Amino acid sequence: MSQAVSAISIKGLTKDFAVTLRGVKLRAVDALNLEVAEGQVYGLLGPNGSGKSTTIKIILGLLEATVGDVRVFGVPSNKVEARRNVGYLPEAPYFYRYLSGRELVRFYARVCGVPSATLKARVDEVIAWVGLSGAADRRVGTYSKGMLQRIGLAQALVHDPKLIVLDEPTAGVDPVGSAEMCELILKLKQQGKTVLITSHLLAQIEDVCDRVAILDRGKLIVEGSVNELVGQRDRQALIVDPLPAADIEALKGWLAERGHALNSVEQPRARLDQLFLSKVSRPGRPGGASAGVGSNEVPLDDKPKA
Amino acid sequence: MSVASVPFSLGRLGLIAGNTFLEAVRQKLFLFLLLLAIGLVASALFFREFNFGSSELKFIADFGFGALIFFGSALTIATTAQLFFSEIENRTALTLLAKPLWRAEFVFGKFLGVFAVIGVFCALTIGLMMALLYHREGQLMAQTPEAFEAGRLISYGDLLVVGLLQWLKFGVLTAIVLLIASFSNTNLFTVVTGFFVLVICHLQYLARDAWGNVDNALIGLVVQAMSLIFPNFQLFNLADEIGQGSGVDGDVALRVAGYGLAYIAVIGGLAVYSFRNREI
Repeated sequence: MSQAVSAISIKGLTKDFAVTLRGVKLRAVDALNLEVAEGQVYGLLGPNGSGKSTTIKIILGLLEATVGDVRVFGVPSNKVEARRNVGYLPEAPYFYRYLSGRELVRFYARVCGVPSATLKARVDEVIAWVGLSGAADRRVGTYSKGMLQRIGLAQALVHDPKLIVLDEPTAGVDPVGSAEMCELILKLKQQGKTVLITSHLLAQIEDVCDRVAILDRGKLIVEGSVNELVGQRDRQALIVDPLPAADIEALKGWLAERGHALNSVEQPRARLDQLFLSKVSRPGRPGGASAGVGSNEVPLDDKPKA
Repeated sequence: MSVASVPFSLGRLGLIAGNTFLEAVRQKLFLFLLLLAIGLVASALFFREFNFGSSELKFIADFGFGALIFFGSALTIATTAQLFFSEIENRTALTLLAKPLWRAEFVFGKFLGVFAVIGVFCALTIGLMMALLYHREGQLMAQTPEAFEAGRLISYGDLLVVGLLQWLKFGVLTAIVLLIASFSNTNLFTVVTGFFVLVICHLQYLARDAWGNVDNALIGLVVQAMSLIFPNFQLFNLADEIGQGSGVDGDVALRVAGYGLAYIAVIGGLAVYSFRNREI
């Protein structure tokens, strides 16, 4: 019986960079161990200089590990073969400005070996999927940051990879664009894709990730499922209609009789980004759609333009 | 876990080359140098009243090849460095090399893209020069038919051969600049070093003639080694043979072409080897 292979397996990864000619080295990643199971959305968190991007580059074969073993679906990450099943969206992506969105995705599709017979259909499909059908024939140089992120996602997905690596996919993007990116990530999860994502916007990570790892100065500090890490197992919240002060006191007494304590009474608050998204208009959702972060109620643009 | 291998693909190499070509011809530098070269070639007609001690047709050919060599060298070095570093600095190389693409495909794709751009430059410059020569030679034949009793003086086939050899020389220069760029950190360093190497390659025969046969074995060895490491670009200059009666020797042209191709293969291989472990 074959053993299940992790989407990403990192064992004892250390990466040093030479910073002076005399051989002084900077340790960017220090003895990192990580396993990302297939089908998960995995968040890699950490402050600037924590080693997130270095780790991603090693996974993609753009950097060589100093020590350690990194595998993608069981294949050493420094092999070209490992990249067959990987799509990558770099931080603040820059693409060939003189190509149109469609030409760009087509170019990457051909580099990835998408068969000629299905090339056009696949390019149209993935452009529609990221909601750029209407702008596909515009030059990439005219795209906004949010559109660049979406065309970047399209090129990452065009060869239908099993693993998608997103490096700060919402950096520099407005809340609407960020929310749409999160929706796309959740759609990818529904399709069974594995997604590795880094972000400084921790609230968004929390919304979309199954598991997270926090790095600091190249070392793994915390790793686990989001629920395990941020859920307070020794606390519960009951959301009720507004109660008068007398009833709250009565409730306290009732709980005390049973050996429990009412620790706090708070007014629940909507998150500011949710308020923002409910008030502003969104492409494809005129009039200020109310779909929250992570909602899949309304497709972005699922119909390819003829 | 067994995974199907990713073979080296001429299709992917062609894609990189095509994209490199497209990017290059959209740059203002290419158009600027092309117009300058064409302008200079065309201006040869206006200098024909001067007596430079050689026949007028020979002067037009020399002037044309001078423009081709000067602007072609500048274009080759600047374009190769620019197209390589634009991929690194704009981080498009990150996206590209994160695909199932061999680094050798990337480097040779860049080479072929630049080589094609230089090919267009050479074709347009030489095409114009041949047209000017043909036109002027026709005028001279009408004015002084006695000087052309044996037919046309200029061998246009030879012009084409010399032009092709110059293109090949630029190919060697492209490979050299790619090798420098594969380990260099900046565009400026690559361009400056590229020009430095260009001068060495043009003048290395002087050092070999002066020092190659000295008694000191060590100096002789160093000079011989240098003449092997740096290709001798003077070998590609067969323009002097044009219009001199003898014409370009086909065997010599073939040997020079083989010499150029061998250097392209070796230097290109070194560029791939150097770029293979470059941290992007």
